Amino acid sequence: MNIETATLLSNEPAYEGARIAWLHAPGVSANVQPGQFVMVHCSHDGLDPMFARAFSYYRVDGDRFAILYNVVGKGTGWLAERGRGDQVRVYGPLGNGLRLPDQAGNLLLIGGGVGIAPLVDTAERAIAAGHQVVAMMGARTAAHLLPASAWPKEVEYVVVTEDGSARPKGFVTEHLGQYQEWASRVYACGPSAMFESLANVLRQNGRRQRPEILMEENMPCGWGMCYGCAIFTKHGVRLCCKDGPRFNLFDVF
Amino acid sequence: MPPRLEVDLAPSHKRGLALRNPVMPASGTFSWGLEFAKQFGVEGLGAVVSKGVTWEPRAGNRQPRVAETPAGMLNSIGLQNIGINAVIDEMAPAWAKWDVPVIVNIAGDTVDEFGRMAALLDGVPGIAALELNISCPNVDQGGIEIGQSAEASARATRAAVRNTDLPVIVKLTPNVTDPVGLALAVEEAGANAICAINTVLGMAIDTKRRRPVLPRARGGLSGPAIKPIALRIVYDVANAVRIPVIGCGGISTGLDAVEFLMAGASAVQVGTATFANPRAPLDVVDELTAWLEREGVADVNEIIGCARPAAVAG
Ligand SMILES: Cc1cc2nc3c(=O)[nH]c(=O)nc-3n(C[C@H](O)[C@H](O)[C@H](O)COP(=O)(O)OP(=O)(O)OC[C@H]3O[C@@H](n4cnc5c(N)ncnc54)[C@H](O)[C@@H]3O)c2cc1C
Ligand SMILES: Cc1cc2nc3c(=O)[nH]c(=O)nc-3n(C[C@H](O)[C@H](O)[C@H](O)COP(=O)(O)O)c2cc1C
Ligand code: FES
Repeated sequence: MNIETATLLSNEPAYEGARIAWLHAPGVSANVQPGQFVMVHCSHDGLDPMFARAFSYYRVDGDRFAILYNVVGKGTGWLAERGRGDQVRVYGPLGNGLRLPDQAGNLLLIGGGVGIAPLVDTAERAIAAGHQVVAMMGARTAAHLLPASAWPKEVEYVVVTEDGSARPKGFVTEHLGQYQEWASRVYACGPSAMFESLANVLRQNGRRQRPEILMEENMPCGWGMCYGCAIFTKHGVRLCCKDGPRFNLFDVF
Repeated sequence: MPPRLEVDLAPSHKRGLALRNPVMPASGTFSWGLEFAKQFGVEGLGAVVSKGVTWEPRAGNRQPRVAETPAGMLNSIGLQNIGINAVIDEMAPAWAKWDVPVIVNIAGDTVDEFGRMAALLDGVPGIAALELNISCPNVDQGGIEIGQSAEASARATRAAVRNTDLPVIVKLTPNVTDPVGLALAVEEAGANAICAINTVLGMAIDTKRRRPVLPRARGGLSGPAIKPIALRIVYDVANAVRIPVIGCGGISTGLDAVEFLMAGASAVQVGTATFANPRAPLDVVDELTAWLEREGVADVNEIIGCARPAAVAG
């Protein structure tokens, strides 16, 4: 973990309700594993909100990193109003990232909503390591989708919307279709409901893909000090920040 | 000359409890110290204070465990911990290698259990003192009854003191009308020092769900929001007892620490601030040192209690 004052390089809308911010912070951008996260302070005085907010690394490029974030509350609302040149306190990288297989394989990446954030960097690295990648994103409507241009061109990008405004209609876990058979490994990030239905679908398939998921919990500290981020797994209670955020799907769901 | 920062937190104890500086983390905001040791080292701290330990391991409360409030937080962690035996077997050996005293915070369910825990921890290498958490508000059968009553607090203190050669610190709850009465009772019962305060009972409501945010409704408020309450209690208690008082509650800067020292605290604990700023306890040491230098104070002991009524009147 490094603690730094980062300089905002850009902070642009990504899709309905979400933005992408690039931050210059050499220490916090170094040695990042896909699926790790960074804590970003989201207030002027550090009092309201007092705690930094957790965000997945969306992309990392040398001495800078980007986050893809939904504007949902006080902290992200504050962040959305910051512009180029503004400074924010950050610390990271934190947590355990995803483990890509050593042998070239067929990787299925599944993102629910802003859960897609850590999967773009994951895809870039997977492609570089010689894997085949299919990325699926589930969103409420077509306006809530990450554009295809965000992905490396080698990635096959499949979208599913709840209202059918981009076909097919429904939840992403209802449309795994042929990819379920194709995939040798599955990686997913999104809300609990998505993990639950993913577990149900893959269980029928003999659990053979050893799916890894990135989980979310309220994180006051992000590095194992407060015990606020407990996740109850089948093997006992774990801290999302320190023992996760990567978990084996079937250890939790 | 850099200022002298050493303080003794247990002058009434045969070995004392000498700290190289008066700043330590608060229990439950520092886990077992291993993460911090790896990240920043613990040797810059006056002491380390462990998470609250119970007799049996505890999984803690379900989610949500935390609700953020302006300049504070409510917590209902529920004393998640590995239990006293694992602390002795797995944590103490690591602590024994550190050049810093480790204070173990113990949370007994009963007066008797405080005695048994004190006995078990006595003589374990790597443990320098005990802090009795008679004031944790989160567990149904936990310290709440003990910390609410001066008589029960004194009995728990006596049970611990009788069963250990280690210095014993008693940590007070602010959720009583007469913290001074409690402090006098535990001093009389043999406590070597007092820590004030634990979290302040509070709550938050989720207006969307029309329910309390925390599953047990109440939680413990901590952070800058409670600093004035903590300061008042430290001031009152330090004025009444002869044993050292450790100030705790909302401290996040060196200047906060100076306020508590002036109110009569001999040392301070930094809690919730560490969640917002991972380096907070070390920053408090640095800022306190810089303040003393700037003010030309040669020894931190010179400012301890300088704002107390007797000192001010004199
Ligand atoms: C490891 C990790 C990685 C994350 N990565 C991303 C990311 O890449 N992009 C992104 O947009 N968000 C991400 N999040 C979620 C992000 O941290 C929250 O959206 C953010 O904290 C909200 O802050 P706020 O002050 O704007 O909202 P608040 O005012 O605190 O809350 C707004 C709403 O969001 C809920 N909420 C707050 N914090 C969380 C949380 N941590 N998890 C779930 N719900 C929460 C609240 O209950 C409330 O309903 C991640 C969270 C974790 C733990
Ligand atoms: C998440 C959390 C866990 C805590 N756990 C304990 C504990 O196990 N034992 C204890 O005596 N106090 C515990 N406390 C209380 C703190 O040690 C401290 O007394 C209180 O938070 C006030 O200080 P602060 O405002 O600096 O945090 C806990 C506080 C928090 C926020
Ligand atoms: S966020 Fe504090 S322990 Fe995980």
